[in-house]
Amino acid sequence: MADLYKALAQIHAIRGQMARGTEFHGYGPETVTATGLLAGAAAALQAAVLKDPGDHAARFLLIWISTAALAVLVTGLQTITRTRRVHSGLVSHMIGSAAESFLPAIGAGILVTLILVRSAPRELWMLPGLWQIFYGLGIFASCRFVPRQMLAVGVWFLATGALCLTTGTGGHALSPWEMGFPFGIGQLLIAAVLKFSYREADEDAQ
Amino acid sequence: MRSKKPARPGFAYDALDSVIHERARLSVLTSLVTHPKGLAFADLKSMCALTDGNLSRHLQVLRGAKLIEITKDVDRNRPHTFCRITANGRKRYLEYLAVLEQVIRDVVAGEQSDAAGEGTQVPA
Repeated sequence: MADLYKALAQIHAIRGQMARGTEFHGYGPETVTATGLLAGAAAALQAAVLKDPGDHAARFLLIWISTAALAVLVTGLQTITRTRRVHSGLVSHMIGSAAESFLPAIGAGILVTLILVRSAPRELWMLPGLWQIFYGLGIFASCRFVPRQMLAVGVWFLATGALCLTTGTGGHALSPWEMGFPFGIGQLLIAAVLKFSYREADEDAQ
Repeated sequence: MRSKKPARPGFAYDALDSVIHERARLSVLTSLVTHPKGLAFADLKSMCALTDGNLSRHLQVLRGAKLIEITKDVDRNRPHTFCRITANGRKRYLEYLAVLEQVIRDVVAGEQSDAAGEGTQVPA
């Protein structure tokens, strides 16, 4: 019986090894494009309903946390469906690796948000910049198994995050375009990288 | 209306690919599948503990089944053979692995139910 369990463990190890050497094609370019447009729409909504966001941080948080939750939900569901289709036989390993790489950065972003809301509400203006930096770090962490060009998108989020932290105080605090522009453009860049590299991989396979 | 199709036996394992199932070829494919960028003939030979002749023969079978691709070039005046798994090979290997896993799980389930049966048997 022990030999049988050992054989099952070896099969699991082979799948794990295969997954580590496989580029992840579970993120769908169309869904990522939709989340970029969603970021633009959320920024437009904020501009319309929140004239002075610096004084209404709670509403700012409500708009952007709802937007992020919707984007994560849609992307998550689509990623699971797509991974089942394109990585048949390696689904749990591939989704596990994707989550393992990206989720710690998201977790850190949530933690920092909670800490700032509870302990330093006057510093909430930093959130857009910090969120972009954490998102960029998540992209860097995923780079070992997504297309190499994704590094450039990681740099984009780090740069926009740094810019927001440098210029986001005073009258610009929590401006809608501090979120809408970096995330809108950034998500479109991710979608373009995915589309281009998936097409290249398909051509190589033929 | 009764189906004319015969009942499928529970342990038929139709997808247990005979090309892959041979021990040396399974070893070659496992090495290649875990090195997606490919392996040189010499590396493959030492990883699978095969002789030159044996490895060449198995590589020809795998290439014939379109599971691997072999490229040959010359590096520093020495012939250099490089082997890589194809997309089809990867797909069929994963299918094979799934069936192999099912075979083992069926045996484990059988042994567990036997053990449970023995445990509940009333001694004569």
